[in-house]
Amino acid sequence: MILRLVIADGSQSPAVAESVEVAEDGALTGWRSVSDGGVGWFAGRLPAAELAEIQALIGAAGAAPPPARPRPEAAEEVLELTATGPVRIAGLTDGPGDWPRLAAASRRLLDRLTDFPRAAVGVSRTPGGGARLEHRGTDPVRVDLGTVAVTATAWRGYYEPAGDWAGEVTGPGEVEAGPEWTYDLPIGFEPAGPDVTVHLTADFVILSGPTRIPVRAKYTPDA
Amino acid sequence: MASANQRTPEFEPPEPVGVRRPDSGPTGPVMLPGAGNAATARMLQGAPAGPAGLAELSRLAGNSQFARFVAQPPAPGGGAPPTPGGVGAGAHGGPVQELQVKLSRLQASALPLTEDGRYGPLTEAAVRNFQTSAGIVPVTGVADPVTKAAIDAAFAALPAPVRVQLALGATGPDVGFAQQKLNAVGANPRLVINAVFDAAMMVAVIAYEIAALHRFPNGTVDAALWTALDAGVKGGFVASEGASATPVEQNTPSGTADSLGAQVAGTSLHPVTGVGGLIQGPAVHELQQKLNTAGASPKLKDDGSFGPLTRTALQAFQSGRVPPLPATGTADKATWDALDVAAPASMTGAVERQWTEVVGGATYSMVGAGASHYSWEIQKTRMLVTAKVNFVGLAAPGAWFGHVEAMWNQYQGVDAASGRSLPIDFKMSSGGGGDANTVQVKPGTGRANAGEWFVADPNAAKTVPHEFGHLIGLQDEYQLHPGDYVRVTGHEPPVGDAAGPAVAPNVIATNLQNAMVARNSANAHAASVGAGVKGGAFAQRVVQEYAKLATVTVPAVAAVAGPPPVPAQPAVPLTGDLLFDLNAALPSDNNSYETIQTFSYSSGSIMGDPGRVSDPHDHGAQPRHLGEFVAILGRALGGTWEAKRR
Ligand SMILES: [Zn+2]
Repeated sequence: MILRLVIADGSQSPAVAESVEVAEDGALTGWRSVSDGGVGWFAGRLPAAELAEIQALIGAAGAAPPPARPRPEAAEEVLELTATGPVRIAGLTDGPGDWPRLAAASRRLLDRLTDFPRAAVGVSRTPGGGARLEHRGTDPVRVDLGTVAVTATAWRGYYEPAGDWAGEVTGPGEVEAGPEWTYDLPIGFEPAGPDVTVHLTADFVILSGPTRIPVRAKYTPDA
Repeated sequence: MASANQRTPEFEPPEPVGVRRPDSGPTGPVMLPGAGNAATARMLQGAPAGPAGLAELSRLAGNSQFARFVAQPPAPGGGAPPTPGGVGAGAHGGPVQELQVKLSRLQASALPLTEDGRYGPLTEAAVRNFQTSAGIVPVTGVADPVTKAAIDAAFAALPAPVRVQLALGATGPDVGFAQQKLNAVGANPRLVINAVFDAAMMVAVIAYEIAALHRFPNGTVDAALWTALDAGVKGGFVASEGASATPVEQNTPSGTADSLGAQVAGTSLHPVTGVGGLIQGPAVHELQQKLNTAGASPKLKDDGSFGPLTRTALQAFQSGRVPPLPATGTADKATWDALDVAAPASMTGAVERQWTEVVGGATYSMVGAGASHYSWEIQKTRMLVTAKVNFVGLAAPGAWFGHVEAMWNQYQGVDAASGRSLPIDFKMSSGGGGDANTVQVKPGTGRANAGEWFVADPNAAKTVPHEFGHLIGLQDEYQLHPGDYVRVTGHEPPVGDAAGPAVAPNVIATNLQNAMVARNSANAHAASVGAGVKGGAFAQRVVQEYAKLATVTVPAVAAVAGPPPVPAQPAVPLTGDLLFDLNAALPSDNNSYETIQTFSYSSGSIMGDPGRVSDPHDHGAQPRHLGEFVAILGRALGGTWEAKRR
């Protein structure tokens, strides 16, 4: 492990509890709990150029920076490097400087992670306008779809609110989702108009052994 | 903030008006023999009478406390007693808001009305209900003079709250209300609102008896003492509001609210202006106005542009100080300090506020380049407060600018003595420069913070006005320690749940500490929320018991891969401050957040947590949030200005 970032925020539900880790050889692994790119386990490998970029940022950063207080509402962000051990980086906002640059690059790795689903579930929009949960990756994932909370938010033009909907779908309970698995969730909401974009969220539970982890898969087509 | 059903601190979708429910536990005084200390026990049995006795009492109660009470006659809380006509009357502004208060209390509304001063359908329905039940015809839903007079009469006829005599050892909500009121009249140190008549409360009661009632103390909150407390401080009781008879705890005003974040020591509120700093805009206007007031000759043109004449005048001002300031042409902290003395008032101003806050036991800040940047201008027909934002990343949706105005533009400054009034408008503008706030606009949804907003935030109508509040220097009003809660809201912490579960507070405190040592937030939640602890007086007894425990150091732990992942944590020396320790020792998850919520205080205002605290009395933007700007009006225009609903 050359870098590990954990972001945690218990003020919202489902909680944000996400991690990304980079190994010496560029292996990229992690977990997403509230994400546009699917929720669950992710694993892949960074191309050599990206790995070199991360290594350069780590090299430039050097010793841990002086502590910086995070802004109001900031989530907890802990970046762990071999050289420094855990460092709280929530107060390091985007900007000049080696550590802010490293912090920003680390946060981007969480998004990069979703290009490499291993055992994950995402949500998309069906041609009929409903929400569809779909397995992503190669490995099966156990999910609890006993109750799935679904929201749909419609936008017109440049993020002008065009209505929203929230509901609960009673699903099949615990199921194992593998490759090709999908599950459709009806939405009681049909926004009209040619330039309307609909965003979706679906809250359910992923099982990791005996541990139940509430997650939120999001569909934000423009994100 | 993310989606509509997400439980984020302040960004819940609007719910039907709910309430802070007081507990339903035992209310009568219960004697607990052995509580208190020997001195107070002796007091109750009859201490020496006369001056010698009073002198002894002075020593017991503490001289500083006497001084406070004597210096502060029993009316600093302002307003009327919770007797008919008093609650809410005149305290919150507009006539519609007053009407809403009365309609809720008369149970004419279905549910407690949100006191927003807006005559909407719910208010109108309540007026109709009242007219129907009072036999007023025709039923119009309009609060005409006849209806209004009838509402006023019915409100005036509401019975005053029944007060119970309290003595050492008493417990229950009434004890909590008395503690609130003793705090409001100046108890020093402040009493914890724990709903237990303990030795600390006895000291405050005795001091108040002597200083305010001028009587030989009997150490009880009897009818006379209640009358004095109720006359001096309004609120502090539970009213059944709406036809639903929903119990709503009435806020107890205490002190003068200061809703601003704590300014970082040694910092200036003025941005560096002139050479090497801002050379145009409101800061330069302020500089030119103050230099003119301080005697600039020739008088500067107030054009907001830092040119050679302004520079020369600034250098002359700097050289003219005794001892002289370096004539740098840069208005730095020392120069602004001198200018503020020479010219306290101006019609335009720029603020760069460096501040911190403690929320949920953690410290947050807006400092350095991330400080709150805003400006104000007193115009002919209004005061305009502007926060300029440099939106980076994506463009800001147009609706965001309207959200700020819809939430914030509800007040006017009023100088009662002269009858002058001036609307106070707030504006978020888009632009760059050294006096702009930087906000990253991110794609999709997520939990916004003061410097990072999400373009598709479905709760933007609340998120953006909340974060705008931070840009004008206001701090959060959720998960606060009691002292911070009083300071920022101007009212006492609620009594809330006084009874608690059938588990002793010290047992819960010990269980919490064990959970922290084990870094186990589920155990902390189970020991508190799961055991039936709700926010309020009982929870504060747990806080007090926790502070008495021997402190230990929680060893460092490595990261846990999870899921859910938990970051590596350094060793945490526990401090005895429950909020601080819970935050430092436990993972940041739902269990720890809800546990911290239970032992802290949150308001329902736009700067608080309306998703978790629905308070019809304290919601949206409140007059206290405009405190800085009405003070500026007073300096610039003279008089004593207050924020009132338009
Ligand atoms: Zn905030």
